[in-house]
Amino acid sequence: MSATITRPTRASFLTPRRLRRVALFFASLLLVAVAWELYKVVGPEAGGKIFGWKLLPRANDNAMPHIWEMLERYGRPEVRGSDRKIWSVVLAGAWFSFRLALVGFFVGAALGLGLSILMARFKVAERGILPYLVLSQTVPLIALAPLVVSWGGKLSIGDWTWPRWLSASVLGAFLAFFPVAVGALKGLTSPPSASIELMDSYAASWWQTLRKLRFPAAVPFIVPALKLAASASVIGVVVAEISTGLKGGIGRLIIEYAREATSDPAKVFTAVFGAAALGLAMSGFVTLADLYMMRNRPKEATA
Amino acid sequence: MSAIEIDNISKIFNAGSGNQVVALTDIDLSIASGEFVSLIGPSGCGKSTLLRLIANLLEPTDGNIVVNGKSPKQARLDQDYGMAFQQSGLFEWRTVAKNIELPLELKGWDKAKRHERAMEMLELVKLADFAGHYPWQLSGGMQQRVAIARALAVHPSLLLMDEPFGALDEMTREHMQSELLNICRASGTTVVFVTHSIPEAVYLSNRVVVMSPRPGRVTEIVNVSIEGERSDATRDNDAFFRGITAVREALRGVEMSDHVRGIEDR
Repeated sequence: MSATITRPTRASFLTPRRLRRVALFFASLLLVAVAWELYKVVGPEAGGKIFGWKLLPRANDNAMPHIWEMLERYGRPEVRGSDRKIWSVVLAGAWFSFRLALVGFFVGAALGLGLSILMARFKVAERGILPYLVLSQTVPLIALAPLVVSWGGKLSIGDWTWPRWLSASVLGAFLAFFPVAVGALKGLTSPPSASIELMDSYAASWWQTLRKLRFPAAVPFIVPALKLAASASVIGVVVAEISTGLKGGIGRLIIEYAREATSDPAKVFTAVFGAAALGLAMSGFVTLADLYMMRNRPKEATA
Repeated sequence: MSAIEIDNISKIFNAGSGNQVVALTDIDLSIASGEFVSLIGPSGCGKSTLLRLIANLLEPTDGNIVVNGKSPKQARLDQDYGMAFQQSGLFEWRTVAKNIELPLELKGWDKAKRHERAMEMLELVKLADFAGHYPWQLSGGMQQRVAIARALAVHPSLLLMDEPFGALDEMTREHMQSELLNICRASGTTVVFVTHSIPEAVYLSNRVVVMSPRPGRVTEIVNVSIEGERSDATRDNDAFFRGITAVREALRGVEMSDHVRGIEDR
């Protein structure tokens, strides 16, 4: 019964540990850039072979433009004569895809949570549903995308018709729901039997037990699942944009710019970085939610 | 008036199947209001099962139980009893005060009343300064005190405890035993206490129920007659040692008979 316990302190947002992480992130970006340029100096112009295998990529300016060329490309117009700079086009595309991914993320997370609650409630549901969930993730997205678009096209409720962008969000949700369903199911069934007995001794209903015990206990399982879902929803949306030809998003820009790779090699990289930034923004958004939800939980053993 | 009437109870797990286990047979026990009764016996004697039957967390296979003049189920629904386990079972995402408020929340108490009661309970277990802490910031003994405060939060007339001090070190344990007696004396609570420690059972109890395994049954009930209020001095008392000897002999009888029948495999 020691009296050395201190009052709980609200953890500050910018702990040294977090600052170090951010610094490390930028340091690693710089390292990748340096490695890229270094390879351009020493690598073979037209690619090379190791033991007869064509392994070494071409180091010429067409295949691997200089970093500064890519950065400089952001400041120039998208197409000759246009007054729209490419950074604003990429930004607009990333924003468009971000919104679709966000819709996919929320729909997928809600669906995953609903399924996990259903499976936690009824053992029969778990046995009946879980195999199909696993099976669903083996369907290639590329094959599914046109199907969703054609199903959506046939759907209209009163005046409302299925907008094209919704198909991309649906595919984002299709990838996002799975980690949430599996992670949340594990979390909802994680409380020890003593805690369940305690709730029973209070004559708590199943819903009360869900709200007061199972769900809070599942949070540490749900948070990493949401991180997976966030990046999965971005992948789903970008792939759907590419395979259904949806205009306006970053996926479409990547395809368009890749066609100009020989004449304007730096251009495609501007869109690729845009997609990467989109993924980062999405997981950053979940990390903020994570920090909030886990603020009062025991910290991982620091020893 | 008796707080608990147990009449010819038996409990069989997996009845009728190949791995059928007879956990309890022919248990008769009457516990008076305000009495402190310990259940002691080797593992597998069904003492925890008996506690769970009283708490209506399990249904008896045969026989009848009356708690506070009602069925165990009604007593559970009315929250006539509070329960504490070996693991404190505090919810790590709730502050100490919020953990104590949990049963009151489930009962639909309003916020101000809940908080008032939680603070009252924290005063009782001398942890008022820790209301805003989280369980993982407390020592094991403090966590167990919070769990007892939570069990007492609805002011139950009955407290059911399953080895609540089993995971604590000896010093903390003796301290907690004294605290528990003080609390129960002040509130007049009836306690059924499962333990595997002989001194603990004797120090706390008016009566010690000695049980034997395979199948679980009551072999002897030892009356502990220690004069006056129990305190740390009680642990040097002759009556205390006589009680310990009596319980130990009763338990030895359990092991002997098992040994003779060749079932003892521990």
